[in-house]
Amino acid sequence: MITLADYLVVGAILFCLSLAGIFLNRKNVIILLMSIELMLLAVNMNFVAFSAFNQDIAGQVFVFFILTVAAAEAAIGLAILVVLYRSKQSINVDDMDSMKG
Amino acid sequence: MTFEKIIFYLFATILVLAAVRVITSRNPVHSALFLVLAFFSSSALWILIEAEFLAITLVLVYVGAVMVLFLFVVMMLNINVDVMREGFIKYLPIGVAVAIISAIEMGIVITGNFSGDKSPALVRKGADYSNTEAIGQVLYTEYLFAFEVAAVLLLVAIVAAISLTMRKRPNTRSQNPSSQVIVKKEDRLRVVKMDAEGKGS
Amino acid sequence: MMEMFIDLLFILLKAFAIIIPLMLGVAYLTYAERKLIGYMQIRVGPNRVGPKGWLQPIADALKLLMKEIVIPTNANKFLFIIAPMLSIGPSLAAWAVVPFSEGLVLSNIDASLLYILAMTSLGVYGVIVAGWASNSKYAFLGAMRSAAQIVAYEIAMGFALVGVLMAAHSINLYEIVMQQSGGIWHWYWMPLFPLFLVYFISGVAETNRAPFDVAEGESEIVAGFHVEYSGMTFAVFFLAEYANIILIAVLTALMFMGGWLSPFQGIPGLESTFLAAPSIIWFLAKSAFFAFLFLWFRATFPRYRYDQIMRLGWKVFIPITIIWILVLGAVIAAKASYVTLGLCTVGIAGAYMLFNKLQTASRSS
Repeated sequence: MITLADYLVVGAILFCLSLAGIFLNRKNVIILLMSIELMLLAVNMNFVAFSAFNQDIAGQVFVFFILTVAAAEAAIGLAILVVLYRSKQSINVDDMDSMKG
Repeated sequence: MTFEKIIFYLFATILVLAAVRVITSRNPVHSALFLVLAFFSSSALWILIEAEFLAITLVLVYVGAVMVLFLFVVMMLNINVDVMREGFIKYLPIGVAVAIISAIEMGIVITGNFSGDKSPALVRKGADYSNTEAIGQVLYTEYLFAFEVAAVLLLVAIVAAISLTMRKRPNTRSQNPSSQVIVKKEDRLRVVKMDAEGKGS
Repeated sequence: MMEMFIDLLFILLKAFAIIIPLMLGVAYLTYAERKLIGYMQIRVGPNRVGPKGWLQPIADALKLLMKEIVIPTNANKFLFIIAPMLSIGPSLAAWAVVPFSEGLVLSNIDASLLYILAMTSLGVYGVIVAGWASNSKYAFLGAMRSAAQIVAYEIAMGFALVGVLMAAHSINLYEIVMQQSGGIWHWYWMPLFPLFLVYFISGVAETNRAPFDVAEGESEIVAGFHVEYSGMTFAVFFLAEYANIILIAVLTALMFMGGWLSPFQGIPGLESTFLAAPSIIWFLAKSAFFAFLFLWFRATFPRYRYDQIMRLGWKVFIPITIIWILVLGAVIAAKASYVTLGLCTVGIAGAYMLFNKLQTASRSS
């Protein structure tokens, strides 16, 4: 029998991995965006698991909204990335320091 | 060890390995493809606990649309992979340390509150239960306002993404299909009446 | 545990029972294509291998099996090999929920329409990965074109399906067919006529078929995303393309043409005869007709220009589907019958023609 703890452990592992990913790839904006997607997936995993095990559909509705917001975030994030690449010819985080005082 | 449990561990293992490869692979294209694999296997995990609407939506929205967008951008931009990898080793200790600390914290919470018999058991619904219907039932009543806000948000995202990336490049030649397809015969063709040309004329 | 494995074995057998006829269908669809286009161009088509060329597809398959798989230099070997599988996997997986006749379905899941949408949206990965892993400019260009095109038409396709599920009050394919029972006038092609057209044309664009085949575009980019593929890997792409054609044809038949229902249902004299009985023969006949349309299109229409394809998808089909969903919503909210909707169709078509006439008149004056 699958238990709630199984799902929570998977969610926790995913969250920690994406957290490490943000540290390890801090130069590459694209992988940063992917790590954020992974983090949202970990959160969604917990929501769905709680919703299914506690017989409350609200959790799944919440995941639905998270998916919407994450899709919008990915679209705008990538658009900004493309504009940035056009002006800087690079997506390195270190090159984005023109507003430094 | 039931059949469900085997399936769960299979997909959970694939999911975790794919997530590891997302953050460690050298090439961003590989990262994106591994992220696709991660979404796919987590959708399988969601189907196991009867959340099939969200599982299919995850594949449809994330794998079918968002990740295609990611792949598009990654493939179109000419990224110098080696520069991007600088600092990977340098930040490895702190990254791993933070991950391990948060893992321990979450582990304490999970083992403290949800281990063993504290976890509620999964109640399998009957064959006539429709997950899609259940979500639709509350989405269009209780959460109607949030639903509408989400729709507006998506519209704003579309407008923002297009207005950010759209540019009119001078010195490029392009055709306008709209003006081409509304052309009528009379615009292009002129029939001229003239006499037949005889022999000695 | 033991029963579990027996169950699994049965499911596997059922899957084979679907896939083997499907593969035969694919093989003979290629034969039909070459023959039909041959006749349309006043040629004979393949006629050497076997009686009247009947063994031609088998000969082709054997030839492709024997050939060497060439992997280009600096290609990403793993992705290069896995791309054809990514292409054929989803197009076969979608068949799991397709109902063939009353009770004849591998898995009658609740959200089968959504499942089909999800599976067809996965097909784009085979194309992108193939184009990228080939390490070739032509392949990459073809992949980019085809991916943009598939993503664009998928939206129109999804909206068309939203119309269908609104009319049927269900996202289960079996239910959708059952809701259409009652003769040819109850099938959804009539109340949802614009969506029917949009769905089928988008299906042609989804499968990268002529006249939307710029992804292959022999005259421009050689063969698009699969230039570098040879032997069996190429054959798998080929199979995937034709399996997708059959899938789109079958889905159109299911959702707009009443699936396995008979067109003579409800006609007084024929009611009790075998003609009015629902059967798999009607289903196969309808699907074969739509598959034939794919071939007919290829022989008839010249290839679209790329910007025209994009314009058609984004600026024509998506607005049409959105407007029709609004109309459908109004009809359902007013609890009006589909006859009203039929009248609406005529009204809107009339208004559009009038608008077009006025526009031409004002332009020519």
